[in-house]
Amino acid sequence: MSISPETTNYMIAGYAVFFLVFTFYIVSLVVRWSNLRRDMHILEDLEIDNKS
Amino acid sequence: MNKKPVILLVLDILSLVFLAVAAYLALSYAPMEATMGNVQKVFYFHVANAWVGMLGFISAGVAGIAYLRSGNPKWDIVEVAAVEISLVFFLIAILLGSIWARPAWNTWWTWEPRLTTAAITEMIYLAYFMLRNGIEDPNRRARFSAVYTLVGAVSVPITFMAIRLFRTIHPVVIGSQSAQAQGGFNMSPDMEVAFFFSLFTFTIIFADLFWHRIRLGNLANKTEELKLKVME
Repeated sequence: MSISPETTNYMIAGYAVFFLVFTFYIVSLVVRWSNLRRDMHILEDLEIDNKS
Repeated sequence: MNKKPVILLVLDILSLVFLAVAAYLALSYAPMEATMGNVQKVFYFHVANAWVGMLGFISAGVAGIAYLRSGNPKWDIVEVAAVEISLVFFLIAILLGSIWARPAWNTWWTWEPRLTTAAITEMIYLAYFMLRNGIEDPNRRARFSAVYTLVGAVSVPITFMAIRLFRTIHPVVIGSQSAQAQGGFNMSPDMEVAFFFSLFTFTIIFADLFWHRIRLGNLANKTEELKLKVME
């Protein structure tokens, strides 16, 4: 009977890399969205000031 | 524009739930492969990430054609969204492949046809953003980018077919493989469940992120337009 090699650490590393990069990308989307929303609000206020 | 559509919210929830189920199926439900041990379980997410990476690069090419035909800037936003998301997924696929290769091939990296073509594809689309950053005129930038994604899309079928056309050590799980292939295995029915569910899950995640990224692109455009208007 053959014994399977112990490669669990590589499996853990693989899934850790996936969740790390994936989470990083999701966070980058959220940060960019909230920055743009903030800029949009500032610009809308400036536009109202310009008109008045 | 700013209010999130209900369907997108449903897609967000489905993506999270399916991702958890896919991880469970890959890590716990699918049996351990006898020759490689637990590292084989990386394969489920590796292939799924590569699949959505390629799907996005092809989508970018289609958006490029749509832009060149119509000249509508919304296709430029779609194209950028597809390339950006695919770059991330394809990078993950390459990293997971490298981690799998260490115990399977006794090396992190080797310049065999699949790894080489995958690395070239990733670099082609990294260069896409360098090209965009180098062009100031939005119309010219969109036109050049559209042509670039069309040319770049050629690398996708080449990467996909590399393990089927050339003598390579990279295994082919579906279809016949080269005699030099190392680390191949036959999928049991339980493994097939984990494999196909992962493919399905990442397709849903891709659709979800694609939609989010397009919304981000639209918001960026609106902000830019308003900025120009306020500065006048």
